[in-house]
Amino acid sequence: MRRPLPPLGVPPLTPAVFHILLALADGPLHGYAIMQAVEHSAGRDLRMGPGTIYGSLQRMEDAGLIREHAARSDERRRVFGLQPAGRLALEQEARRLGRLAELVRARRLIPEEA
Amino acid sequence: MPDPGGPRRGGAGASRSPSFRWSRAIYRVLLAVYPPGFRRRFGAEMQDDFRRLLAARGRVGAWWAVARDLGSSIPDAHAQARARRRVEPRLAPRRQVAPRRRVEQGLVTKGDSPMGSLLFDLKHAARRLMRAPVFTAITVLTLALGIGANSAIFSLVNAALLRPLGFDDPDRLVFVHEGIPQANMPRIPGSAPDILDLRDYQKSFSALAAYRGEQAELSGTTEPRRVAVTRAEAGLFPLLGASPMLGRTFAAEDDTPGHDVAILGYGLWQSLFGGRPDAVGSVVKLDRRPYTIVGVMPASFEFPRRGAAYNATPAELYIPMAWTDFERGARGSMFNNSVIARLAPGVALAQAAAEMKDLGPRIGANYPAAMRRGQVDITLTATPLRDELAGRVRTPLLVLFAAVGLVLLVACANVANLILSRAVSRQHELSLRLALGAPRRRLLQLLLCESVLLAAAGGALGLLAGRAALDAIPAVLATSLPGVDHAPLDGRVLGFTLVMSALTAIVFGLIPLFTTDRRLAATLHEAGARATGGRAGRRLQQGLVVATVGFAVILLVGAGLLLRSFAGLVATDPGFSPDRVLTMSVSLPIEAYPQGADVTRFIRSLHGRFAALPGLRAVTLSTDVPLESNEQRAMTPENAATTGALPSVALTWTYGDYFGALGVPIRRGRTFNDTEDEAIRPVAIVSESLARRFWPGQDAVGKRIKNGIAASPSPWLEIVGVAGDAHDGALGAEPTIHVYLPWSHIVPDLDTLTRIGNSFGRTLRIALLVHGDPAALAEPARREIAALDPALPVTRIATMAQQVAASVAPQRFSTLVLGVFAAGALLLAAIGLYGVLAFSVAQRTREIGVRIALGATPGGVLGMVVRQGMRLVAVGIGLGLVAAAAATRVMTSLLYRTAPYDPWTFATVPLALAAVALVACWVPGRRAARVEPIVALRAE
Repeated sequence: MRRPLPPLGVPPLTPAVFHILLALADGPLHGYAIMQAVEHSAGRDLRMGPGTIYGSLQRMEDAGLIREHAARSDERRRVFGLQPAGRLALEQEARRLGRLAELVRARRLIPEEA
Repeated sequence: MPDPGGPRRGGAGASRSPSFRWSRAIYRVLLAVYPPGFRRRFGAEMQDDFRRLLAARGRVGAWWAVARDLGSSIPDAHAQARARRRVEPRLAPRRQVAPRRRVEQGLVTKGDSPMGSLLFDLKHAARRLMRAPVFTAITVLTLALGIGANSAIFSLVNAALLRPLGFDDPDRLVFVHEGIPQANMPRIPGSAPDILDLRDYQKSFSALAAYRGEQAELSGTTEPRRVAVTRAEAGLFPLLGASPMLGRTFAAEDDTPGHDVAILGYGLWQSLFGGRPDAVGSVVKLDRRPYTIVGVMPASFEFPRRGAAYNATPAELYIPMAWTDFERGARGSMFNNSVIARLAPGVALAQAAAEMKDLGPRIGANYPAAMRRGQVDITLTATPLRDELAGRVRTPLLVLFAAVGLVLLVACANVANLILSRAVSRQHELSLRLALGAPRRRLLQLLLCESVLLAAAGGALGLLAGRAALDAIPAVLATSLPGVDHAPLDGRVLGFTLVMSALTAIVFGLIPLFTTDRRLAATLHEAGARATGGRAGRRLQQGLVVATVGFAVILLVGAGLLLRSFAGLVATDPGFSPDRVLTMSVSLPIEAYPQGADVTRFIRSLHGRFAALPGLRAVTLSTDVPLESNEQRAMTPENAATTGALPSVALTWTYGDYFGALGVPIRRGRTFNDTEDEAIRPVAIVSESLARRFWPGQDAVGKRIKNGIAASPSPWLEIVGVAGDAHDGALGAEPTIHVYLPWSHIVPDLDTLTRIGNSFGRTLRIALLVHGDPAALAEPARREIAALDPALPVTRIATMAQQVAASVAPQRFSTLVLGVFAAGALLLAAIGLYGVLAFSVAQRTREIGVRIALGATPGGVLGMVVRQGMRLVAVGIGLGLVAAAAATRVMTSLLYRTAPYDPWTFATVPLALAAVALVACWVPGRRAARVEPIVALRAE
């Protein structure tokens, strides 16, 4: 039998989950906007097409990290926003990454930015 | 926050070519691979996203972006869906309520339990179809035509070309033919001494047996009648792997003269002995000579098979080959024994063929020196049994098969079109259902139910049509087609055509489901404008109409060519006058007429009796009549213009007024006189083509010709007359050069033939030219024969006109079938065209109403609709003609004096089709022209 996957919201988060949560930090977005935001924040390393985006969104919704918001009357598209658990997971992951960044900097593994 | 609306980057795509129709369509299709729940929830979003990607990055960029995405997200989405299904029952205990109770509680409609919904939908679908009787009838009939015609014709092809032969390992069986290239006879049956040599020399075959078909008078147990007899060597039955159902087959010692034993075929066993087992041991008389029955063959054993070039009449009775010493020594003559052989284990056909090629000259070296100087080379060829049997009918059957395939395509295209029209008109309804919450699965089921009902009805009717066709076809078909008289309807073909048609119905029935928008807003928006089916749908329909018209053109051209060819065939001058001529046949058994003189005496008496019949204008007895040729020999012309090989000449011995009775004109010289019939005079009459070939530009009368090679002891015969060329094969085949001899010439031969057991010259063809109805003379003529010999069966009673008709029966059949198919295709094309236009007019009622309100004349509206239809027809005709020009080339061998690019056909077909199409366009056009603007606008 396969080992059950760890819950989605527990650090370390997968890059996809992290970047989607990050994209939603400023407020609810629809899928295409999330795709663009992820591309902006993750760069070339993480390219997510529509299928991957919605697959992740669905899984994150199941885990209680995000939820679909009722669309505004003039908005045809599905809009997703953070749930408290999502915001918490994002904060925890950000802290973890921050600590990691500090460690890296302390060990001077990469050249200091000018 | 990025702008949710437009493209951010590039921007070029937004202003220019923004639609990317195909890319979006392909992506939409690909979405079908996602699990249904996922697709329902995100499908529209993803399409929208892809549209934006296209706009932002162009076609290549967008596909690059989604290619990997599809690959990774589809399995992931399915994994999620599986996980959900496992979890859901616990999360949603309400679903555990029994379906029936839920129905009672009003939670759901009946349709939600799988079986309940199926029945419900079937009933619903049936009701809907009943409410559109014209659509339903046309669709079902179209399906029935496609399915019925296809399965019937394929079953025939199957029976003729592919049917199991009923012999052990039939693919190892080959025919071995002899050949004499110099006599222009590449493939003829074998001569006994050559076959005996072949058996000694060959190493390729594990067994080899000769057989020969004959006709014989059967008597002793019933009224005398003629039966088909096959003389078979004892080895034939084990070679074929055939065992008797009663008694035994021939033993080796039966195969010598004097052992008069016989094996009954199943049919004769039934008719003579009522299937009684005591038939074995009984005695029957063949040509008035007693034979003891030693065995009975099972019903499944049919040999020889029809379709072979020689000895191809299935036998009713088998007797031993029992070659006489004369036959065994008849080097260079009596080439009448077919040879069948079984390849030895491990020997390939090519090896056997190569060995035969080597053995030919070796056997030829055994010929007497005198013969060899007469330039006789012997060749041997090996032909697989299956090729030989199917060879002559392959092309006509394959053309038939192709025609049927085209009809199936036309039928499928038409069904697709009909169903598409109907489905498209339902798009609005489907959208509404979806928007109101009907699951797509249910709509799918509903649409499927309709398609399946249509296909089932069409299939059932097609089955009946196919059976009827199979019953009717052998009746019109000449016996030249092997095995078709009891061809069963092939289940696999029926299944195949059924599935093909059903698939067409289903696929095209489901199209609207994939193009329907589930969103209420879009649905209600479209409701105002009426669903139009979209450009893509219309294009598809137009494409189908073009295809239908194109296929119809191919079929019409094919049928037109055959019709032209057939008309030419029937109009061919047969070289004789078939009107008012009655023919019949008697065969004089050796036992009762042992001497040649006995035969002549019978002929003289019968001729005298016939001549006394009232109403008779001329009478002749001969070895054959036109349209048949029973004897061909090599002959030598004196001082001829030709050199090289001895030509093969058709020979006919005549008694009485042959040329007068059969209307074969004498071009020069005279006919035979009575003394020449009775006493041998060295005279002959030749055909025009023979005279032209040997003595071009000269008068053949007075020239001389002789039987065999120049050095042969036969006397020179003086040509006293030149007759017109009468067809001695089927119409359409070139007449062979012909020599006619007075009856007296065959009398000495008869005695020789009698000694060796050959009955040639004892089968008399009788032709009577009468004043009135020739058929009315059959009974009096028969009485005259009975008066001379009451035991003599009279056979082949037919007017010459009937024989002419029979000789073109295969062509008539092909023409008829292809004509019927072409007419069907034309009708289907017209229906398809009408359907599309009528539908388009119905959809555009509002637009047309506005046009008329704004001043368009009815004539203008009519013209618009007709132009719309005829444009499609023109494209279809153009494409069809090009395809036909390519397709009809394979028909060349079926055509008689008609070019495959016959301009008459290629000009008439488009005109005829255009005329029919015009009518199909006119009817909906008239309806459009009659639209009342007020009504049209109120209809919305």
